[in-house]
Order: sequence, then C-alpha cells, then structure tokens
Amino acid sequence: MPTPAKRDLLPGLLDLLILKSLSAQAMHGYGIAQYLQSASRDVIQVQEGSLYPALQRMRQKGWIKAEWGTTRNNQRARFYTITTTGRRQLGEEQSGFAELIAAVQRVLRPS
Amino acid sequence: MREFLSRLVDWFRRDRLERELAEEMRFHRELAERDAVAQGVATDDAPSVARRRFGNPTAVAEEARDRWSLPRLDQLQQDVRYAIRGLRRAPGFTATAVITLALGIGANVAMFGVVDRLMFRPYAYLRDPGTVHRVYLRATYRGKEDWGYGGEFARYLDMRKFTTSFSHLAGFALQTLAVGTGDASRERRVATVSASFFEFFDGRPALGRYFVASEDATPRGAEVSVLGYEFWKNELGGRDVIGQPLQVGHIATTIIGVAPEGFGGVFEPGAAVFIPITLYAGSNPGQEDRATYYTRYNWGWMSTMVRRKPGVSVAQASADVTEAFRRSWQVERDIDEGTDAIALAKPNGVVGPMKTAAGPDRPLEARTALWVTGVAAIVLLIACANVANLSVARAMRRQRETAVRLALGVSRGRLIRQMLIDSLVLALIGAAGGLVVAQWGGAAIRRMLIASQGASLDTFTDWRTLGAVTVIATVAGVLAGLAPALLSGRGDLASALKAGPREGMYHRSRLRVFLLVAQGALSVVLLIGAALFVRSLGHVKEFRMGYDAEPVLLVSFNLRGTKLDSAQGATLRRDLLAKAQSIPGAVSAAWVSSVPFWSTSSQGLYVQGIDSVRRLGRFTYQVTTPDYFSTFGTRVLSGRALTAADREGTPRVTVVSESMGRALWGAQNPIGQCMRINDPKGPCTTVIGVAEDIVQQQQQLTDPKRYQYYLPLEQVGSSAGSNVMVRMAGDPLAQVEAVRKALQPVMPGQAYVKVRPMIEAVAASQRSWRLGANVFVAFGLLALVVAAVGLYGVMAYNVTQRMHELGVRVALGARDADILRLVAGQGARFAVAGVVVGSGLAWVASRWVQPLLFQQSATDPSVYGAVAVLMVVVALAASALPAKRATSADPNAALRSE
Repeated sequence: MPTPAKRDLLPGLLDLLILKSLSAQAMHGYGIAQYLQSASRDVIQVQEGSLYPALQRMRQKGWIKAEWGTTRNNQRARFYTITTTGRRQLGEEQSGFAELIAAVQRVLRPS
Repeated sequence: MREFLSRLVDWFRRDRLERELAEEMRFHRELAERDAVAQGVATDDAPSVARRRFGNPTAVAEEARDRWSLPRLDQLQQDVRYAIRGLRRAPGFTATAVITLALGIGANVAMFGVVDRLMFRPYAYLRDPGTVHRVYLRATYRGKEDWGYGGEFARYLDMRKFTTSFSHLAGFALQTLAVGTGDASRERRVATVSASFFEFFDGRPALGRYFVASEDATPRGAEVSVLGYEFWKNELGGRDVIGQPLQVGHIATTIIGVAPEGFGGVFEPGAAVFIPITLYAGSNPGQEDRATYYTRYNWGWMSTMVRRKPGVSVAQASADVTEAFRRSWQVERDIDEGTDAIALAKPNGVVGPMKTAAGPDRPLEARTALWVTGVAAIVLLIACANVANLSVARAMRRQRETAVRLALGVSRGRLIRQMLIDSLVLALIGAAGGLVVAQWGGAAIRRMLIASQGASLDTFTDWRTLGAVTVIATVAGVLAGLAPALLSGRGDLASALKAGPREGMYHRSRLRVFLLVAQGALSVVLLIGAALFVRSLGHVKEFRMGYDAEPVLLVSFNLRGTKLDSAQGATLRRDLLAKAQSIPGAVSAAWVSSVPFWSTSSQGLYVQGIDSVRRLGRFTYQVTTPDYFSTFGTRVLSGRALTAADREGTPRVTVVSESMGRALWGAQNPIGQCMRINDPKGPCTTVIGVAEDIVQQQQQLTDPKRYQYYLPLEQVGSSAGSNVMVRMAGDPLAQVEAVRKALQPVMPGQAYVKVRPMIEAVAASQRSWRLGANVFVAFGLLALVVAAVGLYGVMAYNVTQRMHELGVRVALGARDADILRLVAGQGARFAVAGVVVGSGLAWVASRWVQPLLFQQSATDPSVYGAVAVLMVVVALAASALPAKRATSADPNAALRSE
C-alpha cells in the first residue's frame, strides 16, 4: 500500500480545519483527528496531541462548546460543538484562506 | 474581553479542567491503540504507535494548562494564602486588628446608608434624575436672608406661568391623614400631588390609571385617589379596587389606579395614597384657605419640582426661577400692601437637588448626619492608625523572617505587596464584621436621623452599600498597610540577618510615634465633641419650654365625615371635656386648637401704631378652655388666665406670651391693650394676662420670637380645634389605653379618638441634639478604647525590646520607681502630645460645630481640661502594666549577655 506523502500544516490552519470538521457534526478529539486524516486522504498529518490545546483555546474564544457525552460504544467522551460565533469565524477564515491560496497561486503561476 | 472572562472562569475551575483533559487524552490513547490493533499492528506495539501519533502528552497538558492559568492571579492567590497563614499564626494580633477595623468600617457603612438615603439615592422610576430639581426660593426679611419661601400654591402657579426653562412642573406635599373607614382606618402618609407629577416618572400604573390635569384643577380637584402598591397589597389584599370608595381624611374619594411596585414618588418611605393637590387644598377645613389658596399667598405648605428642558443649564434655570419669583412677588405686593418692596426683599431662587438634605437649606438633621459621618471617618482613621501600628510592631518582630525571604530572592516589591495584602485581608474580614455592625447599629442611627419609620435597608443585599463597604475596606486596608509596607521595603538586610532577637536593638520608630500621637489626637477631638454634645443635650433637656410635656396626654379626634351642626359640636366638646376630666388619674383637661410641634395656626392681627404686624414675625394662637394653663403648666406671669366667665357675649379677651407683649407694645404694660383679629376695623380683643413664652417649633429653641396668644373657645365659638390635653397624675404612658377606652364611647358615628403622650412631640424636637450626643459619646468612647489598646500594645512592645537596656539600668542601681517613671512617663508624653494636637484640632473645628450646639460654647475650657485629664489618666493606665513588667528586668540576664 503506497503511503501518501505527509505534509505539515501551515500555522493557523489547524483552527480552520477543526471548525470545518465540527461544522458537519459534533465530535470528540479523537474523532476530529480521524476525520482530518480521512478527509485529507492521509495527506494532512497533525500531532494529535496538539489538537487539545487548540480546542481549549477555541473554547475560550467562544467558537466551540464542550460537553461530556457517551459514544456509540457507551464510553464517556467530551464532544465539541461549533457555536454561531464559530460558524462566523469559519466563514471568515475560509474566505481568508481562499484569498491566500489564490494569491500564492498567482505568485507561483509560470510567467 | 469575552476571552478574558472565560479564562477567568477557567482559572477558577482549573483543577476540574485538568482532570477532564487527562481523561480526554486517556480516551484518545485508548481509541488510538484499539484502531492500531484493528489495522494490524501487534498488540504489544500498539501503545507506542499511539504515542507516536499523539506526541508528548506532558507537553500537550502543559500547553493546555497555559490556557487557563493567569500568572498574576496565581501569585495573588499565593500571597493571600501566605497572608492568611501568617494571620492564623498570630490570633491575638488578628483579632484585635479585625475588631478594630470592623468597628471603624461598620460605623462608616452605617453612615453611608444614612447619608446616601438622605442626600443621594435616586427615587425609583424617576426618569432622567439629572434634569429634575426642587425649586428653592429665598428672600430677605429684616436684613436676614432666609430660604423657605415658595410654599404657596399661588406661587407654584406663578412659576408655571412665568418660567420658560421647564418641560414639566409639579407641586407636591406629604400629609398624614386618616385613611379608610371604621376600625380599619389608620393615619397614613398621603401624597397630595399635581397631575403632572406622574409625568416625571417612568412607571405605568399597576392597575387603572393616574389622575389627569382635568381632575387636578382649581378651585377643587376631582375626588379620586391612586393607591401606593404596598398599601394596596398589604391593606387591601391586592384585589381589584378600581371604582371603589376610599375615605382620605374627610374627603370621600374613588380609587382610579394603583402605582407600580416600589413607586414612592419623591417620598421616603413612599405614600399610601396619592390624591390631587387641588383636591386637598380645595377641601382644607380652613374656610379662608380653601377659597384663596390659588390666588393669595397666605398658606405656605407645599413644594415645587421641575424638569429642565433639554439644553437649558442649571444656571439658566435658576436665573429664570429668580425672575419668575420677582414677578410673582410683585403680584403678591399688588394684593397685599404689607409685602416688602422687591428692592428690600430681594427675592431670588435656584433649582437644586430634590432632596432637601442636599439642597441649599439643609435641615438640622442633615447637617448633624454630615457631622456624624465625619466622626465615623475619624473613627476609621483611628482604627487604621491602630492597625498600622500593630502591623509595624508585627513587622519588626518578623524582621528576621523578612530578611530570610529577601535573602532567598523575594523582591522587595513583592514584600511590600505582601504587607498591603496582609492588611487588605484584615480589612476584608473587618468589612464582613463591619456589615454586621452596620446592620445592627445603623438601624438605630437611621431611626434617629430619618424621622419616618419603616426606612429599613438590608445592608447585606443593597448593592450601593456593598459597593461602599468594598471601597471603604480597600481604603482602610491600604491606609493601614501603607506604613508597614514602606517599612518592610527598607532596612539593612545583613544586619537584620545577623541580629537575633536577643540582641534586638530598641528602635525608636518615628513612624510609630507619629501614629500614636495621631491616634491620641483624634481621640481627643472626638472626646471633646462628645463632651460638648452631651452638655448641649443637657441644656436642651433642662430648657424650660414653657409647659410641662411629661404628664400630659394628647387626645385627638377624627370625625371622619360625621356631620355635626354647631350646637351638636359644642355639646360633643362639652361631653368630651367632662368625660376626660372624670377619668381616674386625670387632673385636668383642656380643649386646644393647636399642639406644639404638631400644628400651629396664625391669623391676621391689627394693633394700633404698627403698620404690619405680620412683618414682625409669626403670631400663633391657641383657642382653648379655662383649664388650659393649669393643664399644660404654662405659667401666667401677670394679669389673669382665661376663666369660664369669658363666654360669648362678654368682652373679648386674650392672654399673650411675654415676647409677644414686648414685640407689640415694647416697654408698655400689655395688659389692657387692644388688638383686632382678622379685621382692622373689628372689635377690640383686650389683653387680660401675660403668660410665659412657649416653644412650639425646633427653631424657637434658639429664636426668642415665641409669639403666642390664647383665646377662649367660648368666645371664638368656631369649630376650632380637635384635640384635648389631659394632665395625668400617675405615669401618663401607662394610661394611654385607659384614656382611649374611656373617651371612644363618647364619639358619634365613624369618629374615633387617638391618644398620644405629649412628650413624644417634644422628644422629637430634641432629636438632632440627642443624636449628636449619642453618636459622639459612642464613637468617642470607642476611639478612647482603640487608642488605649494601641498605646498599651506599643508600650508593651517597647518594654520587651528594652528589657536588655532596662536590665543594665537595674544593674547600675536604678530602683523600681525609676523604671516605672521611665516607662509610664513615656506613655504620658504620648498622651500629652495627643492632647495638645487634638485640642488644637478641636479648637479649629469649633467654629463649625458651634451652630449644632445648644447654649454651649464649643471652646468651653472645662470640657477641654476634663478631656485632657481623662486622656492622660487612660495613658498612664495603659502603660501601667508594661511598666510593672519593666521592673522585673533581670540585671543578671542583661549582664550575662554582654
């Protein structure tokens, strides 16, 4: 099985990706890690631990909410939900990122 | 901001967050291991694969922890913990400091509650209070400028007409009237207000509506009433009362509305009922006033409130009011020639605070309240000085500990902060105690200062009070912590580390001497104040009011709409008087039309040779029956008293007060003189006797204008008066109910009697002096105790520090007496310094205290002398114990250690 090349994340992108993941459904930390990996077809590689400080920070900023619940296997886990503020933030970061990418591509375009 | 708040919240629950994070990470690892196994990793290798993917869990936890830590807060918490540990190790010091601060803070919180209520606390529902004012008018009369003009309804109408600065004007006055019928009727606070009054407020009626301009019109307003919410709930059970009748005084009204909850208008406490001001004035029992209150300027009884239009400044509004008052004055002068010319009277006015206590003409109670607040502040200063002193002593004892901390690298800044936190912690604990003191002692002070009952205030839940206590405690904490904090920032580290307590030098700290002397001086100031107020109260009590209030019961009647023709009225009066005189224990009884301190009346007087009697001052009259002078104990100085022979049909006679005789006829004998009542061309009323002056108002205690005359009821023959004075032989207070029971059956229909001891009215007039005396004595003694404790503490500490030196002295031949003199002399020197400084301060302040004292010089040398002696004696007593201990200094120990 060919292993796809692992790419490190640009700084600041982690927040955007977490918000995007949560915009679909509430997830626990491990779920987010799994989702990022599968959605990016294994390209994006985060140190899974670094999710947690990021989640705390985003919770303090009011973008996401944390609640304890149970998984399908009846295990206790903390689930994160995106808030209205978080959705607004996601929108801003998404368009910001799109602009950035467009700009980068313009620079890289063969002249 | 929001982020900071949630960080703060997280800081408080950081232990829980930590646990949750750990659980979360463990869960993550478990799932990762499970999935790794599922993907074919060997069970043994799974944990390491999971760990590799996760990264360093300690670093992760550390990073997350940063999100909920606030380093400054952490440090503060450490310092507070350290402070509390230190305080628990020194329970004696802590208890003394906390109690001292609690008393000081409590006194100030209590006074804050009083002053806030008297002067600042805004009225509930009042819209935009900054633009709402009370109108204050003044004029000069006989060379003396005086506030207290503008109470006439006609003047209020002139203000409406002549001013342009105001969007709203309203007249208001508070009356005490019997409300309700039958047994349920009680005297209640009734607000008589203009219809426009309600437009000043935001609250919609809880039920029904307020009255409108068409219902508040001259000559007599509509018979409608609006209930206060609390009265409606408590007395009428909160049922639907719209359209139901309500008897207010002798007016039968219909209820049209209920004010919203907590609405008190501008009355504290709020009124039970609101009625149109023109209904009240137009129903006045005084025939003349009822018809003329809106055209003439004879009856001053109400106040005016205004709301400035946007863009009109206070100064502009005041100028407008002055101009309007001048025009109004001219109108009055056109009607009444007796009115002074404008050039002479200089009428002027201002718009000021709604609360009279904050206005330009403060009542005596308000001035006393401000003084008491000053006194409370001094008590707090003394308490702070005391705690500072104790803390300095403690800091000196802990010098080595401090030195060790410094040596270990604690910064001096942190040390200074530590000392401040120490004293802030003390102050906060003191503040909690202070709230208890304030709740408990404040109720007593409020009762004395704010006349109306029910002005209760829950100290523990009122946010203004809690805010005040926080500020006061912080200030106290900083004040008390400043001295030791500065001290701990200084000092030579090396020598402190080297020196053990045995070699401890005796430090003569200038700071501590200053604090001690300051404490002593402030105590002296308070003690002098206490002595002055006590003597002043003594003078008030000894002062001959011109009657005996103690044995007299006052019986008042309310006919409650029962209509009596004049013959029936006369019969009822006779029956009541006869019945009253027959009560066992009653000595005599008299019918009176007016009651000192409650209600007095005046009418037009004309005397040959005097242009305007009115300009000389207010001449009040009493319409009464023959036994009046023996009943009330007013002495007849010359001529004769009224007798039963002065009936209808006999020549009209009167008895005048001594000062009235002098004012009207100068050096001539008043007896036989003629005065005409109400009509300059009417018949003569001949003076047949001169009685001693009587005091009927608080001002008359100091003002010698006590003009009063007495007319026989049978000759006046009017419906004047609704009170009987009964002089009792035994204790009158014990017989109040017996008298009421005896007289009630005589009353017809709905009418009822009310019996009160006369002394109540008189005692109320002495309230401000009594308050001054009580508070100064309480605070003065408190200050003395605090100062004595402080002095004792310092002396005891000094002796401990000097034990070595004292031992050397003993070894060199000093006797016990020498040692005693040395130590006690030092204490006495502190006291003398305090006395000198304190007396100086008191002498400077005497100028301002003087107006609050009654027949008592504020610089009375005997008072100063007595306080000086007391202070020195207390100082000697406080240093006696330490001095005694000093004589036990052991010369052997001292020599051995050399």
